[in-house]
Amino acid sequence: MNKKFLSSLAIASALTLAACSGGGTSDAGGSDGGSTEASGPRALLVWVDTVREPACLSYQESVAGEIDVTCEVVGQEEILPKIQLSNTAGQGWPDVVFSPPNSAAIYAEAANGYALNLDDYVDSAVIDAYNTSNDWCLVDGSYYCLKNDLAQTVLWYDTVIFEELGLTVPTTMDEFAATAMQLEGTDYVAGAVGDQGFYAGYLWPSGCPMADVQDPTTVRINSSASECTRVFDLMQPLLDAGVVDSRSAFDAGFIADVAQQQKVAMHIGPSWWGEFVIRPADSWAIPEGRIAAAEMPKWDGESTAWSGEWGGGIWVVSSHAANLQDAADAGVYLATDPDMREDKVTFPGYQPAFEKWAARLGQDTYYASDPTVAMVAQASRIRQDNNPVRFDMRGQIGVLQTEIGNGATLKDATETFMASLVELAPGVGYTVVD
Amino acid sequence: MFKHRAQLMSRINGFLMFFPYLLLLVMFAVVPIVLAASVSLEESLTNPGGGFGNYLFVLQDFRFLPALINVLLFLLIYLPTMLIVVAGLSLMLDSIKARHSVPLRLAYLVPAGITGSVAILVWYFMLEPTYSPFAPLFAEFGWTQGTDIFNSSNLIYIFALMTFFTGAGNWIVIQYGSLQSIPDELLEAARIDGANSLQVAFRIKLPLIRKYLVYMLVLVMAAGLQIFVEPYLLSSSVYPGIAKDWSLNQLSYTLAFLGSNLGAATALSLMLLVVMLGLALIVIFRTDFFDEAKTKIKES
Repeated sequence: MNKKFLSSLAIASALTLAACSGGGTSDAGGSDGGSTEASGPRALLVWVDTVREPACLSYQESVAGEIDVTCEVVGQEEILPKIQLSNTAGQGWPDVVFSPPNSAAIYAEAANGYALNLDDYVDSAVIDAYNTSNDWCLVDGSYYCLKNDLAQTVLWYDTVIFEELGLTVPTTMDEFAATAMQLEGTDYVAGAVGDQGFYAGYLWPSGCPMADVQDPTTVRINSSASECTRVFDLMQPLLDAGVVDSRSAFDAGFIADVAQQQKVAMHIGPSWWGEFVIRPADSWAIPEGRIAAAEMPKWDGESTAWSGEWGGGIWVVSSHAANLQDAADAGVYLATDPDMREDKVTFPGYQPAFEKWAARLGQDTYYASDPTVAMVAQASRIRQDNNPVRFDMRGQIGVLQTEIGNGATLKDATETFMASLVELAPGVGYTVVD
Repeated sequence: MFKHRAQLMSRINGFLMFFPYLLLLVMFAVVPIVLAASVSLEESLTNPGGGFGNYLFVLQDFRFLPALINVLLFLLIYLPTMLIVVAGLSLMLDSIKARHSVPLRLAYLVPAGITGSVAILVWYFMLEPTYSPFAPLFAEFGWTQGTDIFNSSNLIYIFALMTFFTGAGNWIVIQYGSLQSIPDELLEAARIDGANSLQVAFRIKLPLIRKYLVYMLVLVMAAGLQIFVEPYLLSSSVYPGIAKDWSLNQLSYTLAFLGSNLGAATALSLMLLVVMLGLALIVIFRTDFFDEAKTKIKES
């Protein structure tokens, strides 16, 4: 041990310290799983996004003096990593969290164990009032989350353009394609497909098996299925003809050159688009009295006009909460309270909350006709063969968007995207079937 | 006796000075590395028998090779650009009069303050044709849409641009500092011998700061190999998924926190650590950066 060695060690360690950032935590795991008996002062930690923060603050106020509720705003991208970290550390979980929908399967898995099985903690009347809207949270026969909202796709269309061109609202996807082709040479488009909208508005409603969970260890993924190929066959000619835009509906160029110029004749999009994308002055800024929503066009051979979903957040209650019933009660309030949903852009998943929400939106003169009629019709038609999975579906959808943005055909982009799902699924314990 | 006592005191003083760092080193480097090594060998879903299966799993992961290629190509552009521009600008800075160099040094440092999410926003507005002040220039190249620029094949250049502007300013000022250590008499002698400014810059100054440049290159390479913030932020905010798992560090993050596979994540991190350690050892033993220190140690 001499100075030379010490200085070498110091320098080597300084240079290598930075390399340790990615891999330095123990997999302590495990926990006592919490208990229904509260000990000490009753407290709840809730993680929300900025949109859901007012609901949390309202709950905080309603139980003040009884339960000490802390509302923390945590970005949606950070929630899963932070809960994984808590799992590793064996502490630090939030009692209730507002989460992206796909995480339901990850939290419900025994090895993760974050999500509380709600069967014993949530009144069955609450679940019943959801009708089928909470089916997304049903994992292996039990409910592990409560849907905050539904993001069912509908057909948004501009009544002024339809009248100008003498178009009729399509009720089948073949009619959709024919109507779109009538826009050729007019500068109008039938939407943009370079984002999650292609997944939620076309592949999912068609029944393309992207994450069709057969049982907890089997998932069906098959880009050669006819439910996928019919989407490429129908949509690629529209893209090639320029009547569907390859950019994202959120792309700055698309917004400035197409949407804000009122050149979008129709667009398959989720129920929250009206208030969040189409209407705001800093978004598409479509003027009052033009926009209406229709039911989804039906794919050939289907008896139902299915929807997909783009979004539709969930509330998850922690199985590690000190007082499980308190945490579950908070989850129910945050997921279902009608007053908290009345003025939000999203379609409430909980039916009693929806009625109050629809009463407001249905009378809004911004829309050419009541858009909630189509939304209600589609609420019970969210196609059930696309399910939450334990791999990062949300992130991989970005691969689909990127490939379309790169100029790949819809078929190639979807195949690349689904090939990545096939690669990921075994790593989290799924067997992939065709 | 006196000599022994002095030596003992010297060693105690040396240890006391090194101890705070040693403590941090053990807490935040040695312990995590040992834990990571242990986790990487544990049994898991992807490593049923325990052992080195996680390392193989990572190497066979469909995202590993593209991420490795991305990072290597990125380094291929980033490193020479840094070396040439930093050396060139610091030589130019050194050649102008001292009173002008202060505001210039400040100007070089300003872009270094624009990092992380701010850098992403700034570069998005600079490169997105709808907003960019350079839109007419982009149009000349046929880039009129965001996806003409923000697409997979351009990411290497975009990230090289972002990291270059973040890092170059600091290094220019540091290399300017290293140029100040060259004795004036030496430069004066060169000029008396008839060397012009270019000859002084390339024949005298550059060889004398060579070891500092090598040192910079190794550190910049270590940082570049670990690129994470730029692709992560671009991919999770502006263009969802565009650079998902683009770099090796991102893949490690995804495996740990989105893929519930801490074992594979630690395996990948440790493989990166070995490369980093190799680079560190090259700096210490294969460059003459610490020659002076060694000489002084010998003299003492």
